[in-house]
Amino acid sequence: MPTVHFFDTPHEIYWGLLIALYFYYTGMSAGSFILTSLGTVFGIEKYKKVSKVGVLMAIVLLAFAPLHLLFDLAQPGRFYNLFLHVSLTSAMSWGVYLLILYPVDLMIYAWYLFRQDFVQGLNKGGFKAGLYSFLLFGKKDMSAAALANDKKKAKLFGTLGVPLALLVHGYTGFILGNVQARAIWHTPLMPIIFLMSAMVSGTGLFIIVMMLVEKFKFGRIGEDIRALIADIANLMKWFIVVDGALMIIYFIVLWYSSETGYAAGYFLLHQEGWSFLGLENGLGMLAPFLILLSKKARQSLPLVTLASILTIIGVLAMRINLVIGGQKIPLTGSKIIEYAVSGRDLSIGLGIGILALVVLTWLYSVLPMNRPGAQEKESIPVSKGVAQ
Amino acid sequence: MGKRYAMVIDLRKCVGCHACQVACKSENNVPLGVNRSWVEELETGKFPNVSRHRLPRLCNHCENPSCLNVCPVKATYQLEDGTVLVDYDRCIGCKYCIAACPYDARFINPERNTAEKCTYCHERVEAGMQPACVNTCITGARVFGDRNDPNSEVFKLLATQSVAVSKPETNNRPQTYYIGADEKALRPNLLEIVGGEK
Ligand code: SF4
Ligand code: SF4
Repeated sequence: MPTVHFFDTPHEIYWGLLIALYFYYTGMSAGSFILTSLGTVFGIEKYKKVSKVGVLMAIVLLAFAPLHLLFDLAQPGRFYNLFLHVSLTSAMSWGVYLLILYPVDLMIYAWYLFRQDFVQGLNKGGFKAGLYSFLLFGKKDMSAAALANDKKKAKLFGTLGVPLALLVHGYTGFILGNVQARAIWHTPLMPIIFLMSAMVSGTGLFIIVMMLVEKFKFGRIGEDIRALIADIANLMKWFIVVDGALMIIYFIVLWYSSETGYAAGYFLLHQEGWSFLGLENGLGMLAPFLILLSKKARQSLPLVTLASILTIIGVLAMRINLVIGGQKIPLTGSKIIEYAVSGRDLSIGLGIGILALVVLTWLYSVLPMNRPGAQEKESIPVSKGVAQ
Repeated sequence: MGKRYAMVIDLRKCVGCHACQVACKSENNVPLGVNRSWVEELETGKFPNVSRHRLPRLCNHCENPSCLNVCPVKATYQLEDGTVLVDYDRCIGCKYCIAACPYDARFINPERNTAEKCTYCHERVEAGMQPACVNTCITGARVFGDRNDPNSEVFKLLATQSVAVSKPETNNRPQTYYIGADEKALRPNLLEIVGGEK
């Protein structure tokens, strides 16, 4: 039955790009950490090569993620209220403590991974030696017992990091999933979908970062790393399979749920079709999956890079489709609510992205990235960072 | 049983004059572009078989308010009498409550930069007056009072009239009761809005 509204009040979309980016960053942090903890925590030897690259990436992404939230607050100066008042019924409140515990745990874990190299790097002199000596906090013991302790502690804090990573991103799934008003969000699958897509994009970004680090720190991407990339690409393929399966399950149940659910599904297929089907699931999921199906492709760096970039774009589209798309469907009234990203949000998003990149590049260039199978050459000057 | 405020809106009496919306704005200094209470007006059907509906909306001061549950700093709170309020000094403006309320009842006040919504004109009610919208309603369509007090108009209407609430399927248990509401007016016609029904 046709309905015509004569009077209605305008509503706007309050959670925009910054919230989607926040979910995106925490996801990639959790994804890249879990992937690279396979070595230290689960004892899979070859992944030990990349645990350092992964943990730094996870820390930086997580450190910058909450900035999006902060800038999204209408009262950013009052953010400390989040610490003063706990609300157990609010998923957002759960996250406050996770957002502290997780990076702190990761930093301790990283410290044990790096300690030995800090000590060895003390003789380098200059800024780096000063930095390492500061970061060592006087713990310069290189006895066998101390090294064994490093290993043990790294494993302990790494192991703690895994559930924390699952929680720090899983909870964001609850932020949306707990909202019964919006069919598009209100599904028990939401935390799992968030985690799985985070594994996909975290792996995608990690592959690219790892290649850059190898290239600029060690001058080339060695055979061992190529083999590892092929391995990780294979894992990524399976992550995509699980993520894709979850998306399909999610969509089917949405389609056959309430009228609101069906309308939401219809909306995703039609108005949001180019973004939901095209970007998110076609370009971002199906295309990289097809690429990674072939063993040859998984061994080709350009193709793996392409697949990784596609997943990174696809998951960003997914976060945007869910967070913003979920609010486009009106709760009252008669119109789809339109969203246009504000110049302010866009510049903040870009600014945070660039800042995170600069900090990460700096960390990679000053910290000792020695790994099993590759030692940093003394001849590489400090300034030769990833950025050049 | 303690006091529990609720509102009954008799749509048979509502003429769609929007006086309540205007009174609310002036009573509560609600800035332009946002509304604590408003009147939806719509027509359903195809000429010559049409009907016209009006639906005044406001915060439902729900019994199980989503907005309160999701607020991470407990800036949104509920009084014993059911009134749901926002502590404007504590609210951090995270907008979670706005995303979670099934009734679009909330917004960010662009001048105060905090979440805001209908308060049942708390100061007026405390002083023994009626909310501004109820006070101004030209036909007496809006009735406010204690749902648990057998002498209150609200109690009598709820006992004697058939009423409906918007989106009863949510677990919010909203406390705005409509008399003579049309199901088509109580919720958005989503299928039509997304283009799934021509
Ligand atoms: S109508 Fe919305 S804002 Fe009002 S109490 Fe219910 S959930 Fe909260
Ligand atoms: S905007 Fe304010 S009232 Fe709403 S959930 Fe956030 S802190 Fe609570």
